[in-house]
Amino acid sequence: MIQIKKKKKPDPEIPSSSMADISFLLLLFFMVSTVIDVDTGIGLTLPEFIPPEQQTTVPISKDRLAAVLINENGDVLLNNEIIAIPQISKTLIPRIESKIDLPDTKKLVVSVKTDRKTNYNLYIQALDQVKEAYFSVREQYSQSKYGKRLVDLNDKSEEMKEIREKIPITISIAEPEAIKK
Amino acid sequence: MKFEKKRSNTKTSIPTASMPDIVFMLLLFFMVTTTLREVDVLVQFRLPEAKAIEKIENKRLISYIWIGQDGKIQVNDSLTKLDEIQKIMYSKRVSLPNVIVSLRVDKNSDMGVVTDIQQELRKASCLRINYSTLLKI
Repeated sequence: MIQIKKKKKPDPEIPSSSMADISFLLLLFFMVSTVIDVDTGIGLTLPEFIPPEQQTTVPISKDRLAAVLINENGDVLLNNEIIAIPQISKTLIPRIESKIDLPDTKKLVVSVKTDRKTNYNLYIQALDQVKEAYFSVREQYSQSKYGKRLVDLNDKSEEMKEIREKIPITISIAEPEAIKK
Repeated sequence: MKFEKKRSNTKTSIPTASMPDIVFMLLLFFMVTTTLREVDVLVQFRLPEAKAIEKIENKRLISYIWIGQDGKIQVNDSLTKLDEIQKIMYSKRVSLPNVIVSLRVDKNSDMGVVTDIQQELRKASCLRINYSTLLKI
């Protein structure tokens, strides 16, 4: 019997060599379009809670205290002088600089005090100014002493440690007084 | 005479070379769509802006407190009353000793509510806080 050989059909296959490329393309697309949101903000360390009956008052000399008062109308009082919020930083910088070489107990203490009705945004602006003053003094110090910018310093390096020691950021958040009725 | 079943000669295997790619794509899809611990923010707020801001490197340590335009306070997934904050935050601090509390406060709110929360945080000894702000350009 004569067998008629059937013509062999080619295997039906989906071309899969480009699959890897497509998946990589997708990966790339998502990597590029994804925004990893970083939390930014003004950091602060609150004082420990001590019950009122155990509280003791420590007198601070007027020389090392910079009191920033913000009332509900947005007026700012820095050491009994009325100034605008953008001026806080400029006023504080020379005072911080003058105390770089003083011991720890004589450094400047910035106290920020608000009313209960003060706008939060104003408070943040004032706090921002204080922080900015400290940062610019630190920057100056780092540039003049090490010739490096503050951002280039390693967070755990000796230089950074010294800067932190010489120019500590001491911000005291006073409790607001209840509004007089 | 033997009878043999007639079988077609074509191979019937499924191509498996692209299997890893398909799996890869699925993995990608899930990686992209999954956000770790999605929190529904129930309050409306607009953050203030500031210049001298810092980044929080360690996102795992952060715990959020929202204060909305209308003075509503949200911790975790639900709106909370002021006097419950201490308890919640204390249990957070026990499980995560160096927790950073990020305060996401609407810029038009009063300092009163912020101070109240700060007092509660002090009582719960969560002392590291961060006022969440946007970068002022």
